[in-house]
Amino acid sequence: MAEPYDAIVIGGGHNGLVNAAYLARAGLRVQVLEKRPLVGGATVSEEIYPGFKFSVFSYVVSLLRPEIIRDLELPKHGLTILPLESTLTPLPNGDYIYRGSDPHETFRSIARFSTRDAEAYREYGHAMYQMAKAVRYILGIRPPDPTSLHPRELGALLRLGRHFLKLDEDNFYTLVKLMTMGSADFLEEWFETDPLIATLSSSGIIGTFLGPRSPGSAYVLLHHYMGEIDGVFRAWGFQKGGTGGIAEAIASSARHLGVEIRTDAPVAKVLTRRGRASGVVLENGDELQARLVVSSLDPKLTFLKLTDPADLPDDLVNAVRHFDTHGSSGKVNLALDAAPEFNCWPGDGPHLRGAISISPSVDYIERAYDAAKYGHFSPNPYIDAIFPSMIDPDMAPPGKHVMSCFVQYAPYNLAEGTWEQQREAFGDAVVNTLSQYIPNLKKIILHRQVLSPWDIEQTVGLSGGNIFQGELSLSQLFFLRPAPGYAQYRTPIHGYYQCGSGTHPGGGITGAPGRLAALEILKDLRR
Amino acid sequence: MSADFDVIVIGGGHNGLVSAAWLAKAGRKVLLLERRSALGGSASTEELFPGFHFNTGAADAGLLQSSVIKELDLHSHGLEFIDSRVAAFAPQPDGRALTLWRDPEKSSYEIAAHSANDARAFLLFQQQNERFAKLLTRYAGLRPPTIRNNSPGVLLAWVQLALRLRGLGRRDMMEFLRVLPMSAYHYLNEHFEGDLLRGLLASVSVTGSMQGPRASGTAFMLLYQLMGTPNGSFRSSLVVRGGLGQLSAALARAAKASGAVIKTTAPVQSILSENGRVLGVRLQTGEGLRAKAVLSSADPHTTFLGLLGAPQLEPRFSRRLRSLKLRGSTSSVHLALSALPDFPAAAGEMQRLAGAIVICPSLDYAEHAYDDAKVGRLSSQPIIEARIPSLLDPSLAPAGSHTLSMTVRYAPYQLRESDWDAQRENLGDLAVETLSKVALDLKSLILNRKVITPLDYERDYGLRQGSIMHGLMGLDQLLFMRPVPGFVGYRSPIDGLYLCGAGAHPGGGVTGAPGLNAARQAHKELG
Repeated sequence: MAEPYDAIVIGGGHNGLVNAAYLARAGLRVQVLEKRPLVGGATVSEEIYPGFKFSVFSYVVSLLRPEIIRDLELPKHGLTILPLESTLTPLPNGDYIYRGSDPHETFRSIARFSTRDAEAYREYGHAMYQMAKAVRYILGIRPPDPTSLHPRELGALLRLGRHFLKLDEDNFYTLVKLMTMGSADFLEEWFETDPLIATLSSSGIIGTFLGPRSPGSAYVLLHHYMGEIDGVFRAWGFQKGGTGGIAEAIASSARHLGVEIRTDAPVAKVLTRRGRASGVVLENGDELQARLVVSSLDPKLTFLKLTDPADLPDDLVNAVRHFDTHGSSGKVNLALDAAPEFNCWPGDGPHLRGAISISPSVDYIERAYDAAKYGHFSPNPYIDAIFPSMIDPDMAPPGKHVMSCFVQYAPYNLAEGTWEQQREAFGDAVVNTLSQYIPNLKKIILHRQVLSPWDIEQTVGLSGGNIFQGELSLSQLFFLRPAPGYAQYRTPIHGYYQCGSGTHPGGGITGAPGRLAALEILKDLRR
Repeated sequence: MSADFDVIVIGGGHNGLVSAAWLAKAGRKVLLLERRSALGGSASTEELFPGFHFNTGAADAGLLQSSVIKELDLHSHGLEFIDSRVAAFAPQPDGRALTLWRDPEKSSYEIAAHSANDARAFLLFQQQNERFAKLLTRYAGLRPPTIRNNSPGVLLAWVQLALRLRGLGRRDMMEFLRVLPMSAYHYLNEHFEGDLLRGLLASVSVTGSMQGPRASGTAFMLLYQLMGTPNGSFRSSLVVRGGLGQLSAALARAAKASGAVIKTTAPVQSILSENGRVLGVRLQTGEGLRAKAVLSSADPHTTFLGLLGAPQLEPRFSRRLRSLKLRGSTSSVHLALSALPDFPAAAGEMQRLAGAIVICPSLDYAEHAYDDAKVGRLSSQPIIEARIPSLLDPSLAPAGSHTLSMTVRYAPYQLRESDWDAQRENLGDLAVETLSKVALDLKSLILNRKVITPLDYERDYGLRQGSIMHGLMGLDQLLFMRPVPGFVGYRSPIDGLYLCGAGAHPGGGVTGAPGLNAARQAHKELG
């Protein structure tokens, strides 16, 4: 039998790859096992229609930790982030709000609705920059255990306390509000223009089962402000060749560091010997030995599928069963025969190279949420769309385009029927909604791919189709993620670790869980 | 310059009376001024119709801090409680019902008829809640900490609370930290499967709230309502003989016995101050009264923006005050009945009607009710909590007849398409209609009806925007965020002016805690 690996990483998503790369970097012999034919998990680009490349699931990037980009020399391995500089909010009355890279232009666009808001917008950007800077600190630390009296934990808590008390009073209170308020309520303390509030608040609902007025959504808003590209905060970008390019860059860096990556290799179970992880068995029966095993899968799969719950303490099993992974987002990918025409902004323009936000009012998004609460998708959903081919022409044949639409809400549990039955009706709702703003859309659609949370679960494996591997709600964050007492990447099984978005600091293409888990593992190995 | 009084207390609600009585007992020369002709504020019992006495605000004294009763020796001032064994009764139109008793074992037995799992889960749930509620009761009695330069005393108190929390053991401590920011929806779903039980408990979690049970922080509100006198995991309850107004009467007697002067029909025009120091108050009669300290139990807006006036405040404080969310959403309907209505679901056991009679058959029912309020409409299917106080206390109604009071949620203060003067009687009809589904002969027994809308609570009871909590009790408006961020333990920006009402920590409900804490604070600082 082959010489055992030092570590086996289950799942070749971005976090699994980052984790593997950091372990290999420390000299470990690492094997990554991915069930799909390609690496990336939810971070993949696929040519689902001849000549058209799609970032099938996740679609924009900004949250990837700079230290990871540095440590793994990702630019050398093909990481090329093209800036995504603007957001257009088309309105039903044919008007629009445009926020671009030019602050004066943005000021003018907002000032048409309210000069007060146009001025507040600058202050707001500054305040959120301050907030993100303050909170970014926790993206880089292992969550302390507040119940432990161990000096190491108390020390960590103390440092954490000091860090936040360093903030000046105003910033501190703003932070408390961000941690507790609804994003729309928070924004209403800054702005008065409803569509502007709606568009900004939508960052607070992305990937969650919350409405813009639900307390807790302001934190998700902040979470989406923590992005940094080349040191520039809140710069959203788009990976050349699609999001998959990010995973490929990390994979290439990992391989370069000696990591072996095996695709089409779904893992059935984690093997244990005398209460220690000893390897894995694949679904095809192959057994692979390793000194330690790391799972980048979501907590439900990590604990309830890969291991036998009977081997785990009840409190963990219960916590994981209660862990909220109810998916709320869908994705619609379109291959377009020509460029889209907006009725509010006909012809070509910078707006086509930015994000399009269908969020005309806070009530509009709340109503979409109301439908989802009772198991329906709304006929008028919130949509965040981009045209990757406008930024990166290689994504589609000349003159043709790809359109990527992130849609909320798509409740994993439907009140009537299954997603297999409802999928196309959902796709129709999205296209119909978009057509109100892009009259020529229906005529230019060559191909349509509709992904419900159920489809995301089927293909990528994410339980409940939750793109964050679990809600980013206050009771599922930091030292409570994924479960109280198990937030430090270790599990009750020696040599078995977790490194997915279901652990601190949560979802988004940050790579932070993968990296922090690797650091904990290396601590245990005293490397 | 000589002061007429050591302390002037504005407002004769229960908190104002607690402050006055406590300070008088501590030897201060106290004057209390009440705008209305009767004392009690939202803790009043009023003879709305000849011979029929109603609790027009809060229903009973369940949340009252035991220290208030002890320190003011209220029993010797005529405060008498009536024991009631039933906590809540949830009747269904189809004749099914669920009764919660003060004795959890008995409740568990009732629940078993609906679900054996829930019956088992209920006992654990109830024990955990009681442990948590005990902690909150202590929390309510503490002065909130500030983010820096806390007095050693304050810090010590909070460290003690933290140790007490740690004293619950690791698992409980983690659970407490996890549950506080949770939604009642998730908290209840984690424990129970029965709609009726989940709905019944959810009705408690949205008390005075402008959120549905899916909002995070509603689990905290559920626990908050369990402070004080345990009532089998339903809202704490302590029935006052002669109506809740008798609590206010006992407080007034206690205050007078210690020499406090109490004036009713004495509306305050303004709070007088000079170079940031309070001087006294001016009555609407023009009469000026001097005092070393002024304690206001009026809500924060009325106190600072109305009575004191923004010019006296630093801009930052008034700006923060303006963003305090009030959003009243509670209304009540009071019925004089010729006889006891027939609740078929009670199967002739009248004792089941002696507690709260709740119409909130499921979590979705409560959430739907909020969906209407969210867009400025009265809930088409409101959450109703009815009480028939005359069952336990015949003195409240003429022989054979009864008083029935309903709390109706949600009735948003701001109606989008109408106003409350136009909607008042529709609200009354809707409430009666809703209750008639389980009390068939209700309509035929109604002798008289009084509807109190949020607008009426503002006009007649001085609750701005009809906010019975003097400001929403969301996670963002608690502790050092209440009523405005940085508000330091009851002391306002004006020296000698204190806030002693529900707008201050810990918040609303007939707890007496703000009144007691503020009085202690003022007494200490008067030297």
